[in-house]
Amino acid sequence: MSEAGKRSVTRRQARDSVNQSAQDLVRAAGGGLLIGLPLLYTMEMWWHGFLLPHWKILLLLGVTFVIVIGYSALSGFRRDRSLLQLLVDAVETMGIAAVVATLALLALGRIGPDVGLREAVGKVALQMIPIAFGASLAATQLAAPGEDDGDTGSAAGDRAAVGTLGRLFVAAGAALLFALNVAATEEPMLLGIEAGPWLLVGVMIGSYLVTLAIVFYADFRGGRSAPIGKGVVSGPFTETAAAYAISLIVSLLLLWSFGRTDGMGLSAVIGQVVMLGVVASFGAAAGRLLVGGGGGEGAGEGGR
Amino acid sequence: MRKNWVEWGALGISVVAIAAVVGFLVFDGLSNRGTRAMPSVELDMAGGYATEIGYVVPATVRNDGDAPAERVVLSASARVDGEQQVSSFEIDFLPSRSEVEVYFGFAAEPEGEIAVRVVAFGVP
Repeated sequence: MSEAGKRSVTRRQARDSVNQSAQDLVRAAGGGLLIGLPLLYTMEMWWHGFLLPHWKILLLLGVTFVIVIGYSALSGFRRDRSLLQLLVDAVETMGIAAVVATLALLALGRIGPDVGLREAVGKVALQMIPIAFGASLAATQLAAPGEDDGDTGSAAGDRAAVGTLGRLFVAAGAALLFALNVAATEEPMLLGIEAGPWLLVGVMIGSYLVTLAIVFYADFRGGRSAPIGKGVVSGPFTETAAAYAISLIVSLLLLWSFGRTDGMGLSAVIGQVVMLGVVASFGAAAGRLLVGGGGGEGAGEGGR
Repeated sequence: MRKNWVEWGALGISVVAIAAVVGFLVFDGLSNRGTRAMPSVELDMAGGYATEIGYVVPATVRNDGDAPAERVVLSASARVDGEQQVSSFEIDFLPSRSEVEVYFGFAAEPEGEIAVRVVAFGVP
């Protein structure tokens, strides 16, 4: 090929690369908005932006950052990336979330020149959490086939195996995302305080059985029926129990973060955790479906 | 790792955005003296004007404390047409170091001074 021809190919490759990067950014911002919109329209989230202490907001942002890194490492087609690459991707995801949250809150009139800086930054920081999850989801799950790093597949089952611990990690992230949608509101508190002990036991059993069925028996894409490995929590019943326990812990973390446990008696706290745990456990189930059944025996099931 | 100027730009903006959010929260948290909520109210007598519902007087409610306040109850009283009238208002939330504008309504333009005060407030 002539020199001119080589230069032309190089220019075209550079233009394609820029287009691809721009597409990735737009997809991440769009995914962030898709997931973050309900909470952008939730009044309690605006209030908690200035009601929560600084360190609780920073803690929630830190947890989000870790989950974004872990999710990026475990799902999609980026699992051969180095820790530095994962960190840089996570910084970019959080940065996109900060920009999208700021623009959305400005557009909704929730922040502006007449709003104090502490209030504005608190609101942006809290809204960054769901938007970052959405951006991360868009980067790893919503890309068209073949777009990302030489990917040639798209179904969950086409990917390399995600171990039980990885699935539970993703379950924790998805539980946090789902539960965050209602944790800031007063409804879980009301439901938890009013529920009697037998109702709570029934809700716990129901949450366990329904999420067990969703992941292992309902034939969703990404579901499976066989254990992945030989670990204690690799079977359907034990994995569901572990995911449910994680959902309850995530629920407690969120309720505590939003001050819903302050001054509450133990029974009221347990009631709230169980009621919010319903939402969290469904999120955990969705997260496990998202990363699929993994390889080995599960791959066949996951790739359906 | 970064392929082109778009990716470098996105990374640069991301670093600045995160540093701004986290940096402000850390700085504000460390410089926070932990003072309690301190709501106060200040009338703007010159800004009063007549409306169809009567005469309204604007006021600025400020919280100079480091903690937010909730259900801030305000009261303004003045003599109107020879009778004492009370106008009250409640603010759901008043963030720390912030202010909001409210309007007290009276049947007609008050005669003389208007006494205004924060009656009560809660701490979330």
